[in-house]
Amino acid sequence: MDPGFSADEIAPIAILMDELRSEDVQLRLNAIHRISTIALALGPDRAREELIPFLQDSVDDEDEVLLALAEELGRNFEEYIGGSEHAHLLLGPLENLSAVEETLVRDKAAESITKISANLSQAQIEQYYIPLVQRLSRGEWFTSRTSACALYHPVYDKVSPQVQDDLRRGFASLGSDDTPMVRRASAKWLGSLIKKLSKQHVLNEGLTIYRRLQGDDQDSVRLLTVEDMIAIAQQLSPAEVKEQLLKQIRQSMADKSWRVRYMSASHFNELAEAVGQDLVREELIGHYVQLLKDNEAEVRTAAAGQIPGFSKLLDKEVILLRVIPCVRDLCQDTSQHVRAAVANQIAGLAPLLGKDATIEHLLPLFLHLLKDEFPEVRLNIISKLETVNKVIGIELLSESLLPAIIELAEDKSWRVRQAIIEYVPLLATQLGKPFFDEQLGNLCMSWLGDNVYSIREAATVNLKKLTEVFGVEWAKVQIVPKVIGMGQHPTYLFRMTTVQAITTIAPVLTLDIVKGEIIDTLLQLGQDPIPNIRFNVAKSLEVLATTFGTNPQGKQLVEQKIAPMLDAQQKDSDADVRFFASKALQQVHALGA
Amino acid sequence: MPSDLDRQIEQLMRCEPISEEEVKRLCIKAREILVEEANVQAVDSPVTICGDIHGQFWDMMELFKVGGACPDTNYLFMGDFVDRGFYSVETFLLLLALKVRYPERMTLIRGNHESRQITQVYGFYDECQRKYGSSNVWRWCCEVFDYLALGAVVDGRVFCVHGGLSPNLQGIDQIRAIDRKQEVPHDGPMCDLLWSDPDEITGWGLSPRGAGFLFGADIAKAFAHHNAIDLVARAHQLAMEGFKLMFDQTIVTVWSAPNYCYRCGNVAAVLELDEHLMQEYKVFQHAPADVRSIPAKRPPADYFL
Repeated sequence: MDPGFSADEIAPIAILMDELRSEDVQLRLNAIHRISTIALALGPDRAREELIPFLQDSVDDEDEVLLALAEELGRNFEEYIGGSEHAHLLLGPLENLSAVEETLVRDKAAESITKISANLSQAQIEQYYIPLVQRLSRGEWFTSRTSACALYHPVYDKVSPQVQDDLRRGFASLGSDDTPMVRRASAKWLGSLIKKLSKQHVLNEGLTIYRRLQGDDQDSVRLLTVEDMIAIAQQLSPAEVKEQLLKQIRQSMADKSWRVRYMSASHFNELAEAVGQDLVREELIGHYVQLLKDNEAEVRTAAAGQIPGFSKLLDKEVILLRVIPCVRDLCQDTSQHVRAAVANQIAGLAPLLGKDATIEHLLPLFLHLLKDEFPEVRLNIISKLETVNKVIGIELLSESLLPAIIELAEDKSWRVRQAIIEYVPLLATQLGKPFFDEQLGNLCMSWLGDNVYSIREAATVNLKKLTEVFGVEWAKVQIVPKVIGMGQHPTYLFRMTTVQAITTIAPVLTLDIVKGEIIDTLLQLGQDPIPNIRFNVAKSLEVLATTFGTNPQGKQLVEQKIAPMLDAQQKDSDADVRFFASKALQQVHALGA
Repeated sequence: MPSDLDRQIEQLMRCEPISEEEVKRLCIKAREILVEEANVQAVDSPVTICGDIHGQFWDMMELFKVGGACPDTNYLFMGDFVDRGFYSVETFLLLLALKVRYPERMTLIRGNHESRQITQVYGFYDECQRKYGSSNVWRWCCEVFDYLALGAVVDGRVFCVHGGLSPNLQGIDQIRAIDRKQEVPHDGPMCDLLWSDPDEITGWGLSPRGAGFLFGADIAKAFAHHNAIDLVARAHQLAMEGFKLMFDQTIVTVWSAPNYCYRCGNVAAVLELDEHLMQEYKVFQHAPADVRSIPAKRPPADYFL
């Protein structure tokens, strides 16, 4: 130890170094995560002179520790070493981390270098950053060259034209590297660099790099060029795209590897928006149809995800002529994932087609998909029905879909049933009372006896919403007697549903209904043999008291019926009943009763 | 005003671990409650009986969606709360917090994974280390494991146990004589209760698991007759359909970890006993992807199967 420092000054770094050398990975990891505290304790000078060199030498550790180090150094660490004028010192340790074997560590290191570069001056960049990029780009082992690819674009627009020339040349040579890993990295980052280049440089140099990568032997390289293609198309005019890029577009769309076609399909709309109307009409529509008919289900799924987005760029006639026939086929697809993707997107076509065409072309497909054997398909259709609603009106929709909806109300998957329940209040507003009572009334009550708790719960919420739609008098006749009737059921789950339904619905009912139809049953259930029912009655009474206890008549109900019941329940043999009863009583007393 | 415990339950319901200090206090409180319970805890109907969970937190949330929330529904979990899944810590602490908050509504019995040895191999220990940076939480939880009941009897008629029967135990009363407050032994009656499996054999057989025994229909029926029970409910073995009745409905395996280990493709079930002990099996699937969320960090090494 240097005798010039007192024990106090030495302590923090000594502890850190001890912990960093610990046998225990967890201790080393903790030390790294506290590294900014240590730097703060050391002060900027010693952090620069001792800590940074120390970190620079500590790349021989577990990946988890290195990952933490790479991350910490990117978190505005320059603040601890004297500000951005010294930020370039952080590049040292990160350069080492950019060359290690574990990809996660390298990626994090490159990310942190990129963050730091934002705070560097042009001089710092040209003096420290550029040489770093050059060293990594010439690294003997592919790992450092891979990391280098990510580091060109962040500084390109911050350096002089001469250095920019060097950077483009450097990147071009990475693009034709011998190792596929490096070519993959350059394909991944080319798009970001293209966005920084002048149009002339895109045409002269960017395109060359792109074309070479796009023609790579390895499909894992080619599939990454799809995003580069979009970046280039965004830089060029439609005419230039047609002249320079058409061949590559065609190749990517029809690549012999499905993974490349998958990438093309899943980025189709971005490309379509970048190339302009003419090319969409002349060229892309044909490719799109091919992707929708692709042999691989994954490609069809990805293409199906783009249906409404791409169709927005087309005329209605073209949608009807080219897209709809494919959609029809996809609805019959053998893969459930494809059908689920179509089900999720098909509603988006309705606003584009307008009322008549939706009725003619889409409605039969909805009906078909609603009967799909795979629940996710059915669920996707139901959850998007509102879009269709707006186009063709609920009346027509409910008329044609009601039978299917009623069937789905008893679907095997409870999430499908739940989606249907959530749709019911909307249907109710449109159908009107008589039609609703006839068609859906029984269904709404039968959900109260569903064997899945969430459905029973949703069913009570549904009844509340229906009461808001059809009014209290309707509820008194149609709902309340049935709910109260279930309170006599020999199975406790039904009696429980009665109590919980009362708790949910009571706030939208009137005091008269509560006094006349509800309270006696509720008080009777307050003495149920099952404690769970008794304490739910206490919760229910709390809601009744707080809802109605504010006016004189309600107060009477509280004093005569609710409070005595809760008082009795406070002496219950079950602890939870006593708890919920006294909680409810506190509320009652808070009302000033 | 919600108590600390209610707040902790709320937090755990979102799958967020509570602080180390809170875990410590929770475990102490849980032990105070569990020490009062019998080796074979008497439980009243109605109750919903659940099998292995194995740290599949979001699938347990799915279970509550189907079966109802605690305390509205009474639950009996037959062990194996931890190991293998991504969220053993949150899963066990939530169940434990519910136990402490509503002791009458929640019954937890011990599974073979509620043991120091097993959790060090199958993930719970590592998960505690990763989430808390020390083994304290694991240690406190293991101390709670030692206090968990070995079985339960619903209304005197349904016997619940994690694994199965033991050649050393003819009567439920004999279980009450065991000193249960210890690490699960390698053999003997306590071990058997947590490790045995029913099988299509006659009499007793050696278990391929290396602990516990296999037992046949004759054994199960004799046990049921001798103890005047209708049904033995147990967990411990994957049932692709969520539950499996055997031996003329004398014994049932209930399995509550859907798509076990996130890859087995099975459905799960719980057994609802109403106040008349009518049995209803509720089958459910694993949580959909948008609810499930798998941790962004790399999962620990594969300790599958």
